[in-house]
Amino acid sequence: MKKYLKLVNFEFNRVVKLFIVLLGITLVVQVAGVIIKSKDYLNMANEKINEDLIPKAQFLTDYGQFSFLHIIRSLWFVGPIALCAAGVAFYIFLIWYRDWVGKNIFVYRLLMLPTTRFNIFFAKISNILIMTLGLVAFQLILLPLEAMVLKWMVPDEFRNDMGIEEMITSIPELNIIIPSSFVELILYYGAGLMAVSILFTAILMERSFKWKGIIAGVIYSAIAVIVFISPVLLQEFVLNSYFYPMELFVIEIVMAVIVLAASVWMSGFLLKKKVTV
Amino acid sequence: MKKYWKCTAIIAVIVFSIGTFYVNSAISADQNPEFVMKTESGDAKEIEPLVLEGNYQGDSSMNYVSKSLKITEDGTDYTNRSFLDRLIGSPTPVIKELQDEYHGFMRGKTPAVSLFFENNQRLAYANVEYKIGDNSLKTRDYTFDISLLNKEDGSTDSFTMKIPDGEELDHIFVEDVQIVDGELNIITENTVRNSDNIFNEKHVYTIDIENQEVKNHEAIHAPKGQENSQSEIQLIESEMSTTAHEKLLLLKTDRKIINDSESTRAEEINRELISYNLKTKDKGKISGDLNLNENEISSFDGSTVYLTKVDGQEHVITPFHLEDRQIGTAFRFQLSDKPNIKEPPMIRIKDGKLYATSQRMNSKIDGNVIVADLKTGETLYKGKLGIKDAEDEKDDYDLYINDMFVK
Repeated sequence: MKKYLKLVNFEFNRVVKLFIVLLGITLVVQVAGVIIKSKDYLNMANEKINEDLIPKAQFLTDYGQFSFLHIIRSLWFVGPIALCAAGVAFYIFLIWYRDWVGKNIFVYRLLMLPTTRFNIFFAKISNILIMTLGLVAFQLILLPLEAMVLKWMVPDEFRNDMGIEEMITSIPELNIIIPSSFVELILYYGAGLMAVSILFTAILMERSFKWKGIIAGVIYSAIAVIVFISPVLLQEFVLNSYFYPMELFVIEIVMAVIVLAASVWMSGFLLKKKVTV
Repeated sequence: MKKYWKCTAIIAVIVFSIGTFYVNSAISADQNPEFVMKTESGDAKEIEPLVLEGNYQGDSSMNYVSKSLKITEDGTDYTNRSFLDRLIGSPTPVIKELQDEYHGFMRGKTPAVSLFFENNQRLAYANVEYKIGDNSLKTRDYTFDISLLNKEDGSTDSFTMKIPDGEELDHIFVEDVQIVDGELNIITENTVRNSDNIFNEKHVYTIDIENQEVKNHEAIHAPKGQENSQSEIQLIESEMSTTAHEKLLLLKTDRKIINDSESTRAEEINRELISYNLKTKDKGKISGDLNLNENEISSFDGSTVYLTKVDGQEHVITPFHLEDRQIGTAFRFQLSDKPNIKEPPMIRIKDGKLYATSQRMNSKIDGNVIVADLKTGETLYKGKLGIKDAEDEKDDYDLYINDMFVK
């Protein structure tokens, strides 16, 4: 356990720079977005009211109040989130391949560690999870701050305040990243964990068998996906909705656990017996 | 520990931030007001079987966020809150009861009340299955998918059969299922395409359960295509239930199509009620002083049709007994002091009892609930929809009742 924690900490220290950069970009771009969007709106209001001489009440009914919705739907807000997602996706591969590049091949030392090699796998996958949840947590902290900035920028009568929950449920993309219930959070990120474990296995296959490994990895991923969705396919095409939704749900969870376990076992096997430096 | 500070810090932030968010959202979920039916007079027992389904729109900034809820005697249940609720879906109470009682039989059955029939001996299900053509989107190979449960010995009998003349159909769907004299009757709406015109016809397929074959197939109504008229027929289903009735009731509406230079519109010229006896296969127009131009048909319980109309401030419910073709004593009621003509009350009639509720309530409009015995004309229950705790009272909200069930 202690060895595992050491490894997690070690891996985290290696990614912390990238992580901080992503946080920084998110903070700067989103807050800038809030300021720019609010300014745009206020400028427009100013123009309409003071130059086109539209009464204030008329302006508000025509153009509506300014709310966080305007910001959330803009590239200023969604852009950094997409960037972070891409960053994490990229790092899923980099977390392995960086160990194989350079003069002093790092993985050599990693594999020589006096600990079970399962720990290397667990430490890496834990890091992906920590990074992802860290970004989500940061976004959750940012949202109220951004709402506050908006409050400073836009006067009361032009503003329509929203709660954090309303912001999140207002666009479906955000609702996937931050689901509205804790059960869903577990399920979504659990599914993500399973997907990452499949990818890790495929990467390790490539590292073990090179070109042949790529094919093996693709085949493994395909089988894993098919196994995972097989209950749904059977339900739809063969069994004529035999299962009640709740039963199907439980079966799916069991399938996910099976796929996850198989991936972990397979990765451990590859790390112990097959991986080449 | 000092060595691990970065990692520890980030995990602490994650737990704190995500934890706070979900704790807060759990707390704010409780802030939705609890609606109850407050008894004003009568016996609160009368509303025990009543389930009101609706939407609540809060006074939050974005009014489009509406939450669906169920109001019963016990209070309010906000549905769709939890992920698992959404996953399981919310079948209507009738279907839910059937699923609980006949768990195995109900597997793989489309959860629509009209597809089921239940009496003391049997539970029957019929639906249409079809394939989508290989190289066109045209559906084909229509078959009936039938399942019968014998309640006494628990045996299930399932079979499929080709629908006669299925090739000519454009589409078909089941509107009602009835067992009369040991024969299964499937009432369907068939869509038939005839060159350019599309017609909706009502058909009855009588199926011999023993031999698993179609014994009789009859079109109750098949409108003839005419240049400038249109005839529509609508099955008046008895209350959302699976109970037996020998007679079908259909409302036929004839419309004249008027071609103006600029537009085409349809004008209603005639409405009539047609009854169809599943036992004798007799079809006939129901004569009698139904006054269908004024009255709306709001309910049918197998033997009595209930007609409703608005008369000034009051709502008038007139029963019409099919057996002796007699109009019964009209029941008049006033749901609230300021009736809302735009949104008429929602009405359900079950076992001779009338259940009526307003479709909308807010801080200005009262929501009322009435239960009355239509036979005696006595009001059994009178109540108001309201927020349970006075401190939760809000200025700006709307509660819409979209549906009403009597269990």
